[in-house]
This record gives sequence, C-alpha cells and structure tokens, in this order.
Amino acid sequence: MSWAWRVARALLGSQYALMLEYRAEIALWALSGVLPLIMLGVWSGSGAGVAAGLTPQQISHYFLAAFVVRQFTVVWLIHVFEEDALQGRLSPLLLQPLAPLWRYLAAHFSEQATRVPFVLLMLVVVGLAAPGVLWWPSPAELLLGLLAIQAAFLLRFVLQVIVTTLCFWSERAAALDRLLLIPYLFLSGLVAPLDTFPPAVRRLALATPFPWMVDFPARLLAGEPVNVALGFGAIAAWCLLLWPISRVLWRAGLRRYSAMGA
Amino acid sequence: MAGPIIRASGLSKTYRISEKQPGLAGTIQHLLRRRHRDVLAVDGISFTIEPGEIVGFLGPNGAGKTTTLKMLTGLIHPSGGELEVAGHEPFRRQARFLRQITLVMGNRQQLIWDLPALDSLRVNAAVYGIEEAEARRRIAELAEMLELGPELQRPLRKLSLGQRMKAELLAALLHRPSVLFLDEPTLGLDVNAQARVRDFLADYNRRTGATVLLTSHYMGDITALCPRVLLIHQGQLFHDGSLADLTQRLAPCRQVRLELSDLQPTEAFACFGVIEAHQGHQVRLLVPRAQLTERVAVLLERFAVVDLEVSDPPIEELIGGLFRQRGEASVTGGVP
Amino acid sequence: MKRYWRSLRCFWGTSLAAELEYPLNAAIEFVSVLGNLAGSLFVLQLLFAGGPSLGGWSWSGALVVLGLYTLLDGFTTCVLQPNLSRIVSHVQTGTLDYVLLKPIDSQFWLSARTVSPWGLPAVAAGLGLIGWALAQGGPEAAAGLRSLGAVLLPLALLLAALAILYSLWFVLAALSIWFVKVWNATEVLRYTLVAGRYPVSAYPPALRLLFTFVLPVAFLTTVPAEALLGRGSALWAIGSLLVAALCLAGSRLLWRFAQRSYTSASS
Repeated sequence: MSWAWRVARALLGSQYALMLEYRAEIALWALSGVLPLIMLGVWSGSGAGVAAGLTPQQISHYFLAAFVVRQFTVVWLIHVFEEDALQGRLSPLLLQPLAPLWRYLAAHFSEQATRVPFVLLMLVVVGLAAPGVLWWPSPAELLLGLLAIQAAFLLRFVLQVIVTTLCFWSERAAALDRLLLIPYLFLSGLVAPLDTFPPAVRRLALATPFPWMVDFPARLLAGEPVNVALGFGAIAAWCLLLWPISRVLWRAGLRRYSAMGA
Repeated sequence: MAGPIIRASGLSKTYRISEKQPGLAGTIQHLLRRRHRDVLAVDGISFTIEPGEIVGFLGPNGAGKTTTLKMLTGLIHPSGGELEVAGHEPFRRQARFLRQITLVMGNRQQLIWDLPALDSLRVNAAVYGIEEAEARRRIAELAEMLELGPELQRPLRKLSLGQRMKAELLAALLHRPSVLFLDEPTLGLDVNAQARVRDFLADYNRRTGATVLLTSHYMGDITALCPRVLLIHQGQLFHDGSLADLTQRLAPCRQVRLELSDLQPTEAFACFGVIEAHQGHQVRLLVPRAQLTERVAVLLERFAVVDLEVSDPPIEELIGGLFRQRGEASVTGGVP
Repeated sequence: MKRYWRSLRCFWGTSLAAELEYPLNAAIEFVSVLGNLAGSLFVLQLLFAGGPSLGGWSWSGALVVLGLYTLLDGFTTCVLQPNLSRIVSHVQTGTLDYVLLKPIDSQFWLSARTVSPWGLPAVAAGLGLIGWALAQGGPEAAAGLRSLGAVLLPLALLLAALAILYSLWFVLAALSIWFVKVWNATEVLRYTLVAGRYPVSAYPPALRLLFTFVLPVAFLTTVPAEALLGRGSALWAIGSLLVAALCLAGSRLLWRFAQRSYTSASS
C-alpha cells in the first residue's frame, strides 16, 4: 500500500511538472473546448429551450456546467500512445514494474490540474461579458458534481483504452476514435440538453454510455433534479462492463506487440 | 566565371538571446522585464573561395561554423560585413541564386519519408523547372555515380541510412548547383558508406567543377577531400590554408614512438623531449621539429631500438589541445 | 507561372499517391461525414422546435448555412489541415531551411505542398445539402440564382470565404515560427469556427459582433448563404471582399516578417 502511495505521489508530481512545461498548449486546448459556450449562444437565441420547458436560466446553467464537465473529462490517451508506440518509447515503459496505463492516467490527472486556472479564467471572462450568468452551486451539488466529473472521466478513459489497444493491430485506430466522438458529441448532451430530445431518441441515448459522460454531471452541477444513485450506478455498470474487455484486449495487444519484435 | 565564387569580408553575426530563469517566478519576471544578452557568433570573418575548390570548415561546437554556412546560403541575415556568393547577395534568396546552390544537412531530410525517393525527385524537378526528360537523364546519371538503382523506387523509410544519404545527395544535386554547402554529410554513416560519399563528392567536383564547402565531424572526410581548410574558433578565422600547414602550426613537435629490446629508466629519455608515455619496452616522446633528425640519430645510437616510428599527433588531438588551451571543452564538428 | 502550375500538379500527384495507400480511410471519412451531418441536422431540428425560424432564418435557409459550413470544413480537411499543421514540424526539425532554399515562393510551398482527398466527402455533402435546401425552399429560396450576375455574386463571396479561412489558418500556423509551443492554435480555430454552423443572427448581439469583427465567422457562411438566397446586400458583399483582401494581404505580410525573424534568429 505504501508502495502504491509512493509511486502515485512520484508519478503525479513528475507529470504535473511536465504538464506545467506544456501550459501554453494546455491553455489552447482549454480554449478549444468552447463548443458548449457557442451552443449556449445559439440555444439562448432560439425558442426551442422554452418550448421544451426550460427557462433561459436553466439553459445557461446547463451549458456552462457542460462546459466545465467537458474541460475536465478530455481524454487524449490514444494520441500519445500512438506516438509512443511509433517512436519506440513504449518498449522501455513495458520493462518497468508498473503497467504503462498508470503513467498515462497520472498524466491525465496532472493535465486536469494544469487546466484549472485557464478554465477559471475563461469562466471569469464569461461572467464579465454576461453579468449574472454565473452562480454558486450548493456545497453538496458541487461535491457530487466534482465526483461525477471524475467518474465520467474514468468511464471515458476506460472506453478510450479499448480503442487505444486497437493501435496494436491497426494504424488507423485514431481515426476510429474520431468516429466514436460523433455519437459522444450529439448524444452526450454537449450540444443540446437531453430534455429537448424527442422521447424515442432520448431513450436510445440513455441506453448508451454517452449521456452519463456530460449530461449527468452537468445537471448535478447546474442544480437540476437528478437521480444521483442511478447516475453513479450507470457509470459504475458501464465501467464494470468495459474494464474486463479492455484488459483482455490490452493483454492480447501486448502479446502481438512483443511477437512483432517490439 | 572570373574571380572568386565566394567572397566574404568582415562577415559577422550577433544573436540577441533573452534570458529566462527557470520556474514560474522566472517566467513572470521574463514577461515583465526581459533581459537580453548579445552573443557574437561570428566575428568578422574574411575569406575568398575560387570556383572548383573543395574547402573544409573546422571548429568545435558553437564555433560559428553552421552560422557561417547559413549566412552563405542566405538562411541567416549577417549583422555586418559583406558577402557575395555566385555573384549574388545570398540573403535576398533570388530564384537565380537558389538555382546555383544547394544545401545538404546530414541530420535533416528533405525527401518524403513515406514515399519512394523518385517521387520526391519529381517534385524537385518541377520546382526547379527541369524538363521531365532532362530530369530522368540526370537522375540516371547521378544514380549511377552514387550506385543507386532500384532503391529509388522503394519508400524512403525502407532504405538504410547510407542509401538515404545518397538519395538526399541526389535530390540536392538534381538542379546541377555550382556551389555545394554540405553540413555533416556523413553524420552517422559507417566507414564504408562514408568512404563512398567521399568518393562521390570528389568525383562530382572533378566532373562538374562545382565548388564544395563542407563541415564534418570526421577528420577523415576533411583529410580525404579538402586541400584547404578554414578553422573557425570562437567566431574568428583561426587558420586558412592546407591541413599540413595547420598541423605544423598547431604541432611544433612530432611524435616519436620507440620499441626497445631492453628496459630503461624513464629519466634516460628526458633530454630528448617531452615524455608522453613510458611503459615496459614502449616509449612515446614529443620532439621539436627542428631537432628531429639529430635526436633520432642519437636515440638509435644510444639505445637498442627494435622499432621506431615518427608521426604527427592526430589532428583531432591537436585542435582539441588548441581549444582546451583557449578554454574550450571539446573539438567536435557537429551542429549545435 | 507555368512552373508553379507544374509544381502544384506534382505536389498533389505525389500526396494523393501516398494517401491512397490507406483505403480504409475512405470508409472511415465517409461514415464520419455522414454521422456529423446527421447529428448537425438533428440538432438543427431541435433548435427549430421552438418556432419556424432561427434568428430570422427559415429552415431551408439554415440548411444552406450548414451546407456551406460542411463545404468549408471539407476544404479545411483537404488543403489547410494537411499543409499548415506541418509548419511547426518544419520549424522543429529544421527542414524549413530546405523550403526557404527552393527557388519557389515559400508561402506557396507551405500552403499547397500536399492535398488530402479525405475532405472530398464533406465537400460533396456540403454541395448536396445546399442544392437540396435551395430546391426544398421552393422558387423563392433559389431567387439568388436567376441571372448570371446573381450566380457570380455567391461564387465570389464563397471565394472570399475560402480566402478568409485560409488566411486565418495560415496566420495561426505561421505563429509557430516564434512560438513553437502554440502548435495547436489551429485546433482552437477549427473548434471556434463551429459557430459558423448557424446563421450569425442566431447568436446574442455581443457574440454577433465578435463573430463579425474579431473572428469573421459571419463572412464564412452567413454572408455567402444570404447571397445564395437572393438576399445579398451590397454592403455585406463589399465588406466580405474587403475583409478577404485584407486577410490575404495580412497573411502575406506576416509571412514576410516571420521569414525575416526566422532567418535572423535560427541557429
């Protein structure tokens, strides 16, 4: 246990220092996550939200929360992994007595920490540009919301691990990941609240893992009524379903990797 | 063309370097008040090179070799002095000038990694405005000189380092430049591949009368190819002449290696010169050139000599010694 | 000029040959374009649930805007992305030196060196969507296309949009000469330009100003769409052409400046 604690501290510390070096890039990545804010602009100008029974305030809270959720659930594992495998940096990592995935996970957490000031800054700018749109969630909402963001991040991470393992077989795994981004974009609630969906589409969306990645944590943060147990339960269930698949694929992939002479 | 093809006088280059302390505090300070430092990379170099010469550029890392080469090709604007290459002012990089020169950097590629070299060559032919039939003829000719054949039709990534370098040379020479700038053209190649590149360059120079300027890490390249060397040290021209002259200038002594049939005390050799090493039957001495014959005669007379060899110390060591004397760490010729 | 033309043919021939080694890409891009289009149409339909118009635009008008956006996105994938995202690696590996030493305009080389066929599905989908929307909107929606002059205006405005888009990309990509660390600035551009999916009047007034004067999204899709629908105003048309000319000239100037700073600083 103390070994795990030491490794975790060392990994997070070194990765955070590394991410600080990339702060300019990370600031730009944060800036490139403006889609929910753009959608907020469109939705507040259209009558569709009201028609679906949402007040303008609910709409703006929802999209601002979705913006924050999106910022802290970005997963870029596949891109660095592909690069590492191509450049031969993966082989030395495999020789260490620690699964490389932990290293990547620590890198993601560190990147999130580096993002915090930039996201706050963007929220301040939004607050200045449109006074009154920002609000303070209650402590319970905030705590649950942050937990839900991390849970959603883990679900996205596990899902991407599965696609990433396909790198062992195909040079086009990253393109596949882009395909997966399309249902994520339209079904997760990032561009439209699930409440505005036609009932049939909404049921379909809820049967996929995507709404739990944005809609659920965003509604928690925005103070909407949510079934908290159902949300966390759904995320846990999806993780439990996907994690074994990712393990099996990862092991098979490594066998293939070493068979090809690493 | 009459007169020198390269004429540099008082050429110099100053870089402005902004200094930043590491860490967050350093970054903030850097944003608020920048501190600059001027670094004189090249400090008033003058030389001329005649058409058809092969000239080697020597000097340690950071001596200003690459900076000079980049000024000569027009990639860097000189801060001072005058420069004329092939009748043009390089920095204006006019198309007429660019068609006459070429630059090959051993550590950088211009060919496309995923495609056969032939495809990249076609691109170059189009860019330099070479007719297709003419381009094919030139490729065939250069490929023969470089001993390249079917390799040109394989994706570049599947070639060996030596084959890739030869393909790079082919691409760089397709437009028949009259001035070649080569920065470490044999970097990372094995001894055989190095020798082949060298032979090709000598051959190309003989056939076309092109002027060649080259820097190299490997003294072998310089000794084999360059009758004339320019030694740059701390931004200044330290030597302009033959390699033999440089050796003489740097090494007033020659190395004498003796093998004796019996054991002798070290003191016995003290009066002949500086004792570099003495181990068992082997002795190594540094003897001033002027007294060489005289002292060798005495050595042969006084001791039972089995074997004797007189040589110049390796040029690398001489130059290394020069730079250590002047407070430089190493004598490598690489790009910084 | 003839040399530039031949170089371009050669550039694009070689890069197409390289790209076509991956036939799986074609399938992936095709699915991706269809998926994105379906998703965008779905969201647009949701937005129209509240009333018959979005920022004063009818359903078919909004479709024209979406079609133009898809078209420009395809152009980005075909030409801008594969070329301009490479400038930073030229700077990092030092191969920019080779580009600068070619007897051909370096901005031309950097902007047109390769082409990727994978944006073509999006271009086709965009054109199809525009045509369909104009047909669906009935005779008055296609009012813009009755005379020759009325056909030329949308074309000119589309060209202006392409020029603006190119210049924005080029300027951001050229910044990497100074700041290698901001190599992903073009990604920010790509994600912000998503705003062009909807007519600019659908946004609140503050964003409308931003999308017109700071980040000229309005000129990319809304202005050409208005011309296509026969609602083009002379003021907007002139403004659009002017902005395009300014952007092009700006990118040219910036590149001159960038070269000077690169060549006096690199080692």
